[in-house]
Amino acid sequence: MKIYRILILSLSTIYCLLSTSHAAKLNVVTTTEDMAALAREVGGDLINVETIAKGYQDPHFVDAKPSYLLKLKKADLFIQIGLELEVGWAPPLLTNARNSKILPGNPGFLEASQGCDILQKSAGVVDRSLGDVHPLGNPHFWLDPNNGKTIAKSIAQRLSALDGAHAKDYQANLERFETKLSGKEKEWDKLISQSNIKGIKVVTYHNSWPNFAGRFGLNVVNFIEPKPGIPAAPAHVQALIQQIKSEKITLLLIEPYFDDKLPKKIAKETGAKLLIFLPSVGAKEGVKTYFDLFDYNLNLLKEALGARG
Amino acid sequence: MKFLIVSGMMLIANSGWAQQAQASSALQASNLLNPNISVIGWFQGEAGHRLPEPGKEEPAVMGLKEAELAFQSIVDPYARADFFAALEGEGGIDLEEGYLTWFNLPADLSLKVGKFKANFGKFNRTHTPETSFADRPLVHSRYLGQEGLSSVGGSLSWHVPNPWLFINLDAEALTMPEAKEAPTFDKAERKDLLYIGRLSGYYDLTEAANVTLGTSYGQGTAGQEFDAVKNSTSTLASKLYGLDLTWRWKNPRRAIYHSLFWQTELLWNHRELSTLSSANTMGYFSHLEYQWARRWRTGLRYDWTGFSTDEAKHESGGLAYLTFTPSEFSLISLQGKKTKKADNEKETLGFLKITFNIGPHGAHPF
Repeated sequence: MKIYRILILSLSTIYCLLSTSHAAKLNVVTTTEDMAALAREVGGDLINVETIAKGYQDPHFVDAKPSYLLKLKKADLFIQIGLELEVGWAPPLLTNARNSKILPGNPGFLEASQGCDILQKSAGVVDRSLGDVHPLGNPHFWLDPNNGKTIAKSIAQRLSALDGAHAKDYQANLERFETKLSGKEKEWDKLISQSNIKGIKVVTYHNSWPNFAGRFGLNVVNFIEPKPGIPAAPAHVQALIQQIKSEKITLLLIEPYFDDKLPKKIAKETGAKLLIFLPSVGAKEGVKTYFDLFDYNLNLLKEALGARG
Repeated sequence: MKFLIVSGMMLIANSGWAQQAQASSALQASNLLNPNISVIGWFQGEAGHRLPEPGKEEPAVMGLKEAELAFQSIVDPYARADFFAALEGEGGIDLEEGYLTWFNLPADLSLKVGKFKANFGKFNRTHTPETSFADRPLVHSRYLGQEGLSSVGGSLSWHVPNPWLFINLDAEALTMPEAKEAPTFDKAERKDLLYIGRLSGYYDLTEAANVTLGTSYGQGTAGQEFDAVKNSTSTLASKLYGLDLTWRWKNPRRAIYHSLFWQTELLWNHRELSTLSSANTMGYFSHLEYQWARRWRTGLRYDWTGFSTDEAKHESGGLAYLTFTPSEFSLISLQGKKTKKADNEKETLGFLKITFNIGPHGAHPF
């Protein structure tokens, strides 16, 4: 009998220790590294941040691995992009995490798209003949720094609601981030004015860049995918090659998680330059912050296009 | 006067617009609260000479084998509901699953009640149209039934708390199926229950590779024996043990292009044939699948199985397939299957399996 008591006491102690080991800081879990980067800017040392999809992963296709449940189980705040970007994997993870705090409708659940400038909202009939479309709007909205500010503000408000004792710290961090981002935007605008980026026609692999293109003046004229998520057929490739040649398009942009065999072939036939463009923080070593993401992509464009003549 | 008429017309027009807007927003709101509804169509063609099997109807050369309807939704802040009904080619409707899950109970528990596929092994819970195969592995057909082991009851699931490894423990109590549904078991009396337990662990070996290891146990009845001398009946018992291993590899940097999957399941059965005799039998399958391009995958399955009621009999076989997926929502698969039956006769069959999905069919367990 005594041995049973000792066993039960030991198990209870281990359970309590495991349950409370991360009680000091708020635990934030984000679906992507972009949201994690913004949460770190606002939360600083007051929060622990973990992410599910890595920056070099296609966020449309992530396996809902049980190991993610271990992260979600202890989360105080879950941040997702929304607009059905994570629809294939986030809902089953949330309902299996056994953590009511982070279920939709609760303070621990935050959809980052709220309040952001969302482009390409579908009007009229939407079906899968259009490919893998997002009827609520293009979910790659974090690629506009103005939306980055909105997301950071939402995160600060939510962290303050969850951890009122540090509300002033979150507000101060937010203001510091906004000031830095405004400064960086001036730098990026200067870089654009000194280069040939503004108005440049580009072809991208996937429709990931409407917000980025709108903010920095790129003109996306076509996609290697004929429709979102649908691989290119030979007829589309031939038409695209003709368009690139006739419109003298000089740049092809592809995300790092797509196979570059076909883009390389198109680049070779047309003479266009192929750039691996980063859609997310963490997509390449050294791109660790939200600022790094824009620094990297804009400098890549500048180098490819050269200084304004 | 003119002003009054115009104002009156504007008011009428506005009230009509307001009613329309109200109706439209009410319609939208009702749509938002509707469950996710989806249908998976399963067309299958078959070539070759199928050996006749007692009690089993020979399928048509081609047909719409099944249309699987799924209705899935959150019920309230505490529970979700999932319904899967199969409209079968012959015209029947079968409620394959219909259950309510309280997914957020204290102490890392969740509770499921209703009709559902038993959590025995890893493969059993997957509906046949969503498997890679034109049919279920031989060992599953012979021990768990043509459609897998499912019944009505309750299932308690516990995430065993620890920060290193995902471990899950399931305990289920189900109404006892009849032998024609699940050949390992057979209902003797109305009150008979089937008890299922499963302990599984998941571990990320690397960023790309992971492994799931599970053990399962099922205990139930295997019919009754009537003793004419004593004029009494004895209930016979059947115990089923399972071991499953699933290994996956998928480089997250190229997740949509290449993946490798290997799954093996072994089942052992100890079944009382009478009060004086019993049978110890087993079976297994092993499945390897390689995705070698964004839309192409190929796979092999090896089957070996005994029969729950006869230690002397066994059959074996293999299935190979080549699958093309035009999109995430449809697939076309050419399959060949060779089986050496228990009487040593050989059966060779070819299949064309086409499935297509409309609507947001929910994700299946990983």
